[in-house]
Amino acid sequence: MKFYKPKNLTELFQISEKIAGKKYFLAGGTDINVQIKKKMITDEPIIYINHLEELQGIRETDESIIIGSLCSYQELLNSPLIAKYLPFFRASLVNFASPLLQTMATIGGNIANGSPTADVTPLLLVLDAQIILMAKSKMRHIPLRDFFTGYKQFNLKKNEIIGGVQITKNAETGYKTFYKKVGSRKALTIAKVALAGLKNSEEYKLAVGSLNEYPRRLSKIEEYLASTNTPESVKLEELLKQEITPISDMRSDKDYRFQVCLNLLLEFIQI
Amino acid sequence: MKLEFILNDKAVSLEVDPMKRLLDILREDFGLTGTKESCGEGECGACTVLLDGKPVTSCLVNAVHAENKQVVTSEGIAQKPLGKLLIACFDETNAVQCGFCFPGFLVSSYYYLKNDGEPNLEKIKTALSGNICRCTGYQKIFDSVMMACHRKQEQEK
Repeated sequence: MKFYKPKNLTELFQISEKIAGKKYFLAGGTDINVQIKKKMITDEPIIYINHLEELQGIRETDESIIIGSLCSYQELLNSPLIAKYLPFFRASLVNFASPLLQTMATIGGNIANGSPTADVTPLLLVLDAQIILMAKSKMRHIPLRDFFTGYKQFNLKKNEIIGGVQITKNAETGYKTFYKKVGSRKALTIAKVALAGLKNSEEYKLAVGSLNEYPRRLSKIEEYLASTNTPESVKLEELLKQEITPISDMRSDKDYRFQVCLNLLLEFIQI
Repeated sequence: MKLEFILNDKAVSLEVDPMKRLLDILREDFGLTGTKESCGEGECGACTVLLDGKPVTSCLVNAVHAENKQVVTSEGIAQKPLGKLLIACFDETNAVQCGFCFPGFLVSSYYYLKNDGEPNLEKIKTALSGNICRCTGYQKIFDSVMMACHRKQEQEK
């Protein structure tokens, strides 16, 4: 496979432009190396990006926290900015993957891999995160919820890359928070079902992973919960059937996934 | 690419494919066969090494990731005072069964002992959660690391 190591972002875009077909950007390598082993990647070109300073670090502006796409989970867990402004987000990251993978795995990689079961995405969705997309001479911010368009399909223009994620500092302030990931064991597990939720007296924010072709918000249930003080479980079940499309696979079956999701939803309502 | 890095406290360099796995470089190019391959997908921790002082699964690390970094393997840790302390505790507790997972457990345990070292079972379990022992000898492994934490504290008094 052809390998490139650009010196900086400018060079990255020059290289990327010249490659017409499929290509992979290598960050921490925790997904790509598994895909190489499983022969899902054979001879597509690889562009190494993990050393690019422009995509690293965690910064603050007056209103937001900006997380570079190459930021590893360990950096997120050790960041005083994340601990100060986004304690719920931080606490939810603790059980992602394992300490060994947290060293290498990056937030941008977790999103870019596009797995329906990506751990970080439901959390970012309820925090109303924006994704920063960078191209050679342009940069744009879009809500993460508009980024996914299908299974491993993204709202991404040609030669655009994920530059980072932006979350407002008050994204979780004043909300009751909920995050649960259900898997076969605590560490190193791929979620069968994951539910993230925020609520206050006026609004509800809910997102699920592993239950659709990409992680997404449960808008109909959010609206229903905001409209009533006495949610009925029959109605929730009916809405949930419209919002999620669980599948049966090696990790679980669809009836189990549906029931667990409903149980988590009822648990969330009680908090 | 020409890869230069620090391996067990010694500067080394070699000509290598930038995508070659660190695991294979250690085993094939340097003969450091303490680092084991089991799952090859980052799930089991048998290939754990320290990269710039932090534990990683070397089956998911490429040559290019190791450039100008410090790599410490189980062989390197076995030469360090805290490594020797851990090995003595594993030995006394009879924690090692088939032994295949053990270099990885040694690396993760060393990282915990060096950087935290509190004799706290929950923390030890979390620190070792990326390593799997299919002989399922976890209790004795936790006991050994706990023992090492206590001994380290005594030594520091």
